[in-house]
Amino acid sequence: MVVITFLAIGLLLVILQTTLFMPTPVWPAAPDLYYILVAYLAYRMDLLRSLVILFPLSCVLDVLSGTVLGMYPAICFGGFFLLRFMADRLPVRESLYQVPMIAVSYLVVNWLVYVVLFFLEPVVLIPWSWPLVLLRAGLIIVFSFPLFRFFERVNKRLQGGFSPLKRLRVRTGNRFR
Amino acid sequence: MRKKSSRKRPTRFRAFRLVLLIGLLLTMGLIFLVSTLGNQEFGPLHKMLFQSVGPVQKVVARSTNYFRSLKKEYVDLLRVREENTRLWAELQECRAALYKSREAMATNAMLRRLLDFKRNSRLPTVAATIIGKDPSLWFRSVIIDRGSTDGVRKGMAVVTGEGIVGQVFAVAPGYAKVLLAIAPSSAIDVLLQKSRVRGILKGTGSLTYRLEYILKTVDVAKGDRVVTAGYGGLFPTGLPVGVVSRVIRKRRGMFQEIEVKPAVDFLTLEDLLVIEQERRTLE
Repeated sequence: MVVITFLAIGLLLVILQTTLFMPTPVWPAAPDLYYILVAYLAYRMDLLRSLVILFPLSCVLDVLSGTVLGMYPAICFGGFFLLRFMADRLPVRESLYQVPMIAVSYLVVNWLVYVVLFFLEPVVLIPWSWPLVLLRAGLIIVFSFPLFRFFERVNKRLQGGFSPLKRLRVRTGNRFR
Repeated sequence: MRKKSSRKRPTRFRAFRLVLLIGLLLTMGLIFLVSTLGNQEFGPLHKMLFQSVGPVQKVVARSTNYFRSLKKEYVDLLRVREENTRLWAELQECRAALYKSREAMATNAMLRRLLDFKRNSRLPTVAATIIGKDPSLWFRSVIIDRGSTDGVRKGMAVVTGEGIVGQVFAVAPGYAKVLLAIAPSSAIDVLLQKSRVRGILKGTGSLTYRLEYILKTVDVAKGDRVVTAGYGGLFPTGLPVGVVSRVIRKRRGMFQEIEVKPAVDFLTLEDLLVIEQERRTLE
């Protein structure tokens, strides 16, 4: 259920990004919402379920955006493993510090993927622009707070289960069993 | 004896007063009758009464008018409030209708241009609408709501009434991805309309094209029109591409650097036409 729900949320985010947040084909300030989901999965979900969600999500992104297949899986998986690695190694694990790390990982992964693509197919890419990439990273920070709260709420709800019988369950007086 | 006489005095006085009153009333009644039935003019009594009643009447009439007007104003105010609410609602409706009609007019104009293009070019076309845009910073493409079931094939030219938009890059049964002409990976054979010199039009990622392989010996000026060359059969010949907006002649190199402003406004793209070509041409 968690996998299906987060996959649906991911698809919705991608669709929003390609429609609502893109008023014109050259609009620069469209937030990469999918990357916030990637970050959430890296921080909060186990590896197997995260990969099951990420694979179809990155494929959809490849279909809807760009002309080089495999670019979005590289960004998604690269960002996922980088954030996971950083989350394990860094001594600070507060959510407040995790949000800037998302933006940093976004910059690193995008730059690496761009460099690789530039060597493989230099003609197809629009020249790298730091102001635009930093704008996108800033938008990721802005959207991370509300989306993380939303993901957290959905995840808690799913972990708790939807069955009303659980709420009606008669508990014994013993709270120390 | 004294007591008797003291009792009689008030009785007499009372009778005298009564007689006097009756006399006065009769006199007044007589005067009234005479003046009323006589020459029909206001006599002194009438005038006196008139003068004494007038101010009272005036005060009562004024206060009555005041309260009447107060009531009328209050009722009017209530009516005005109702009317105000009604007029505001009506205004909102009118504004909404105005926006709708403006939108309809704009859409109508755009569709008319597409229709004119379709009629004039006499090419088989498929009308499509943009449903999604590429959010990436490095590519420029759009998704349209027509696919292989509608006859759309990879490589087909996509245009609007103003000029070329791009070409179909990938196709699914119901949808297709269009690589915009402003994308860096797009390259189109074009002609300078005035000099008939051929060049390659490439996208820059922004809202301009770059015209390449135009020799320095060729006379190119700002404002020259650029049209499709039609080589290779992808784009029909003579479709408007844009207008030369800047020409740079460097000392080194054989070619000029030419910037072309697109004929199509990529910021307002909505409805497109996919030009159906024969499969052989595309292959």
